[in-house]
Amino acid sequence: MKLNSKLGGMVAAALLAGTMLGGAASAQTLTMGLRAGPDSIDPHWSTLGSQAEALRHIFDTIVMADENLQLKPGLATSWKPVDDTTWEFKIREGVKFHDGSELTAEDVKFSIDRIPVVTGPMSMTIYTKQVKETKVVDKYTLHVITKAPAPTLPNDFIRLFVVPKSIGMEARNEQFNSGKAAIGTGPYKFVSWEPKGDLVLERFDGYWGQKPHWQKVIRKEIPNDPARMAALKSGQVDLVNYVPATDYAAMQKDKSVDTFIADTVYFFNITPNVKETLPKPVKVDGKEIAENPLRDARVREALDLAIDRKTLVRVVLEGLGKPANQLMPASFFGGNKNLPERPYNVAKAKELLAAAGYPKGFEIDFFCTNNRLPGDAAVCEALSQMWARAGLKVNANALNGTVFFPAQQKGEFPLWMSGWGTLTGEASYTYGSLVHTADPKTGLGAFNKQGYSNPEVDALLQEGARTMDDAKRRALFEKVTEISMNDRALIPTVQLQTVWAAKKGTMVIPPRVDQETLAYEIKPKS
Amino acid sequence: MIGFLIQRVLQALLVIVAMSIIVFLGVYAIGNPIDVMIDPASDQALREALIRRYGLDLPLFQQYFVFVNNMLHGDLGESFIYRLPVLSLIFSRFPATLELALCAMLIATCLGIPLGLWAGYKPDALSSKAIMAFSVLGFSVPTFWVGLLLIMTFAVELGWLPSGGRGPTTNVLGMNLSITSLEGLSYIVLPALNLALFKLGLLIRLTRAGTVEVMSSDYVRFARAQGLSEGKVVGLHVLKNISIPIVTVFGLELGSTLAFAVVTETVFNWPGMGKLIIDSITVLDRPVMVAYLILVVFLFVLINLVVDLVYGQLDPRIRVKASS
Repeated sequence: MKLNSKLGGMVAAALLAGTMLGGAASAQTLTMGLRAGPDSIDPHWSTLGSQAEALRHIFDTIVMADENLQLKPGLATSWKPVDDTTWEFKIREGVKFHDGSELTAEDVKFSIDRIPVVTGPMSMTIYTKQVKETKVVDKYTLHVITKAPAPTLPNDFIRLFVVPKSIGMEARNEQFNSGKAAIGTGPYKFVSWEPKGDLVLERFDGYWGQKPHWQKVIRKEIPNDPARMAALKSGQVDLVNYVPATDYAAMQKDKSVDTFIADTVYFFNITPNVKETLPKPVKVDGKEIAENPLRDARVREALDLAIDRKTLVRVVLEGLGKPANQLMPASFFGGNKNLPERPYNVAKAKELLAAAGYPKGFEIDFFCTNNRLPGDAAVCEALSQMWARAGLKVNANALNGTVFFPAQQKGEFPLWMSGWGTLTGEASYTYGSLVHTADPKTGLGAFNKQGYSNPEVDALLQEGARTMDDAKRRALFEKVTEISMNDRALIPTVQLQTVWAAKKGTMVIPPRVDQETLAYEIKPKS
Repeated sequence: MIGFLIQRVLQALLVIVAMSIIVFLGVYAIGNPIDVMIDPASDQALREALIRRYGLDLPLFQQYFVFVNNMLHGDLGESFIYRLPVLSLIFSRFPATLELALCAMLIATCLGIPLGLWAGYKPDALSSKAIMAFSVLGFSVPTFWVGLLLIMTFAVELGWLPSGGRGPTTNVLGMNLSITSLEGLSYIVLPALNLALFKLGLLIRLTRAGTVEVMSSDYVRFARAQGLSEGKVVGLHVLKNISIPIVTVFGLELGSTLAFAVVTETVFNWPGMGKLIIDSITVLDRPVMVAYLILVVFLFVLINLVVDLVYGQLDPRIRVKASS
């Protein structure tokens, strides 16, 4: 009995401590419950979006991106091509690092040179692969010399974080994680971090830009969806990101939370394999046939016409999406504003299938992920049912990403759907990888596993890659978008939207297409 | 006794070798981890370079031998993602899981054995029936669902306890523990309760079955005839005689709790080893997966060894057999 009463006392005290903790958070502290976080505090460690999102608080980039991923000045106030292979960056004057030293062009040069030296899992060299060398012209001017004309260099630099030269080339992962080398020019200073745990930040008073509202920021990593939502409702965190569609529906009726919704750069695209032979032949009347029906443009158009995009958005995604007619938002550089909305017409789809020689349709396997982006598996199943109305038998297989991506890379799928985000905000990133003929020599078409090849598209993309004139390049990419979308090289379905939630009436979260949750952009509700 | 130990160690080595081959083949069959990690902006040359850097271009058997060679030198490899030695990564998560598992076992044992004894001692009482009904619930309701229910009730509705995470820790003997402070304890209560539920049900049923059987045996009748109090009969004779199956199950359960607290750790965002393995699986961090599973095998072998030694203490006949 004695033991019991002691235990009871302990539990009661523990309960008390828990409640006090909930109420203790002051108005100056922002606690965020986010789905993913960094793998290291070294800003050149990995190209993962969650890595950049977290480290953007501590480090600044040379070029910054606004909420629609369009370029804006960062640590460089301006940039312009001096000749075909040289970019001139003017570095902002009077910027202080967290250790009090001043930013100069030397630090920017050091940061670019440091990238190939870092041995992270996903090398950032993809952002510097066009760079041949960097030259410091004077204290605030930097010349970047590229291997060939590189019109997209400023876009590459939106993920290029600047660290002080004083940390030295030897600074490794451990020095950053312990905070010793975690010195940036960003709005927040590093306090502490543990892998997959909390990242604690403190406001930097010498910041060159607008002073953020929150004195202290705690970034909690909570990957599990229900756990993250519970953390918000129990008051453990002030806001959460990636609210699942089902919770979003409930939250709209909930008086204790505010929700914020934004378009994302993520699109679900269907990819038809147009190689001579499919990895697994399609069946007509239960018998395998030798030819690949997806090579016929009429069949691809029929697949497209049979998709009811409005229903996908309204029913399957609980309203969290928009019908898509190309692989990225039309407002992005190289997006085509003249493309029409894609119609839904089952009767015409059936006609086209019959004209192509498949009056009774065919049977095909269809693959997608089930844990990569919200709603991926549900959209996949809905699509197979929509195609069934046009007379096709589509076997939908939703796989874990760890199984899906290696198999996709090996070319094991005849027809698949995956999510793709245009993270640089311009067309060459997406169309160059997905639509250009796979060509290891130019490095283009790295993700073109469907065998699509159109010499006209290839020529336009290659010309775009070396055209420095923005207006001309834009026109070239718009043409690429038009041709490849009419060819149905890939079939876009929906653009996803994302939701944040916060305690009612406490703050304003500005929507960003890259889904980043940036504490310094979040303001209290006045 | 020494022969017994040597035999055990050899068995363990064999199991570890077999396990490493199975895990290696399994992970290899899934495919190339580079394809899961790779950034969409990269080109073919970068992909090739990455594959070479991780040695994934080598044939399977060669990759396996590189791995075994490193393991023999005490090196289980480096995580693909963190580039930290796998062992230190896993052991940095070990204290969190250890204290969670021990708290859960403590709850299960302190409640399960007395409740089971009572249910076996008075099988027809209403309270016993209630206990048995509860025990069925304990291991038939899925863990994740109970976890969410606990969070909804105690964190969201009542606001008494935190909904997840690990709270503040203090350093004890080089391990960061949360059970040393009250605030830390408030974080461990719900996940430990959640993890304990299945074991609680199991222990109740096991103890009850043993008690019912033993209560009707001769020595209990003799003990009563000797005039021993009921408390002594149950607490001494009955408990000691039913403890062998309980110790076995306790050992196995402790092992599986340490190794596979995955669901609870995920639901409560508890930064233990279970969460590490799940995070590693989602990015195919091969070195962590392989090393973790090998450590789990090792852990089970070790626990079974300890269980066998405890048997000897509980039942002298086993000691005699082992020494002969």
